[in-house]
Amino acid sequence: MTAAGLQRRSGARSSRARIANRAAATLLALALWQIAVVSGVVSAAAVATPTDIVRAAGSVVASSAFGAALLETIASWALGLLVSLLIAIPIGLALGSSDLAYRMSRFTIDFLRTIPPVALIPLMLLLYGATPKMAFVLIVFGSTWPVLLQAMYGVHQVDPAARDVARAYRLRRRDRIRSLILPSAAPFIATGIRLAATISLLLAIGAELLGGAPGIGAAITLQEQNGDIPQMWVYVVLSAALGVIVNLALIGLERRILTWHPAQRSMVAA
Amino acid sequence: MAPSAAFHGRRLNRRVLMALAEVAVPVIAIALWWVLSATSTSLYFPPLSKIMTSFRNIWLFSHVGSDVVPSLENLAAGFAIATTAGIVLGMALGLLPILSDALAPAVEFLRAVPGVALLPAALLLLGIGPGMKISLIAYGTVWPILLNTIDGVRGIDPVVVEVASSYRMRRRDRLVRIILPAASPQIVAGMRTALSIGITVIIFSEMIGSTNGIGFQILSAERSFDVPGMWAGIVLLGILGYLLNLAFRGFESYVLRWHRGMRQLARG
Repeated sequence: MTAAGLQRRSGARSSRARIANRAAATLLALALWQIAVVSGVVSAAAVATPTDIVRAAGSVVASSAFGAALLETIASWALGLLVSLLIAIPIGLALGSSDLAYRMSRFTIDFLRTIPPVALIPLMLLLYGATPKMAFVLIVFGSTWPVLLQAMYGVHQVDPAARDVARAYRLRRRDRIRSLILPSAAPFIATGIRLAATISLLLAIGAELLGGAPGIGAAITLQEQNGDIPQMWVYVVLSAALGVIVNLALIGLERRILTWHPAQRSMVAA
Repeated sequence: MAPSAAFHGRRLNRRVLMALAEVAVPVIAIALWWVLSATSTSLYFPPLSKIMTSFRNIWLFSHVGSDVVPSLENLAAGFAIATTAGIVLGMALGLLPILSDALAPAVEFLRAVPGVALLPAALLLLGIGPGMKISLIAYGTVWPILLNTIDGVRGIDPVVVEVASSYRMRRRDRLVRIILPAASPQIVAGMRTALSIGITVIIFSEMIGSTNGIGFQILSAERSFDVPGMWAGIVLLGILGYLLNLAFRGFESYVLRWHRGMRQLARG
């Protein structure tokens, strides 16, 4: 047997052991949750057991409200995120490419971004009522800042030597943007997008739960008011599942698009 | 000497200009807001002068003791719990790779639960009161600190750890003097993320089932159509958020002062 073959086999064995460990730990955590609720340590009037949640999931998924709530949340999340990217990336690149503009806007952006977007929910409710539009505006406000800052920062960090080379070769503006600025800023922008995607999801669910816009958050409140705790928890678990999927999808996308970048390469090597 | 003085003078001028540029935009923005809103009759966008009057009436200083202090106390308590738990558990998991790998799916899932989605359950479980808010803040903020601590501990140069063990340092010394400081840049970065999450969590936890706090004030102003009062609350949050960030930056540069020196040394 070759050394490579041996290594592959031991690799497969260790990855199988890893999966077994993970499954065991996850089952153990679920069992602890179940025991905590059944034994009364955690009140069953507030927290459903995992088995009850699974049992309730069947009827929730079959209901027509489920699909509608899921679609509403995903739609406001995706639309809000997309619009905030369209606003933030060009403005961020423009502000970052000039030293003066960078300085001039830094304080203002720093200030505006520290206003927690949830504080604007009352204003949005006055302006738009409990509608998807209210959730959308809130998401755009909240997730524009991280992308904008990262884009600004990314352009600002362009290697000065590379910039001088581009100038010496008199690269056209379009070429300079395409082959120097965008590639250098891309990893920063990717981080900003990942942050913004998580914030958008949080704000979508927050706007629905606190402001009553239709979606998963509103479904959580509704089930709580109905006193149906297992069904409420089905929606809580659903919101977490969405978060996990968004996160994994973006990390995967980042790795695929930025394969050329040293940070990604060393990550793959490690 | 003369050219050097001139050079310094120009540099100083440039620095003053840059500082002015930084301040100019906010000053102009506020002035524009003031002028453009002065004749506003819109219910939702009242004149800035009215907002400022409201701000003075509500926040200077009659509601500071009843609303601002409780909000900040809950934030501090939740953040302190999250920081302690995050660092202790993070160091343990960082030193036990098998355990942290096994727990990875559970942690990924728990971390993805939006704090706001737990609000109804937290209300049912803990009722209205500081206990519920503090728990929710601690839950919301612990994840970035925990994950960053694990990463920080993992990222320590193995040579450093080997040297420590070959000197037969005691376990406690090794933890407190080697591992914790080496991981601290990452830990502090996690704390910074956690702080802004904490401010968000405190506001929304005050918007449902609360009888005081800044978030409660903003919402109740909206409900009684006191729009300038609502705006005053938003302005207060902007100022508080900025000051908290500033304070944290101060803390960061104090805790990590050795780190910056090292980086400059490494850069040469």
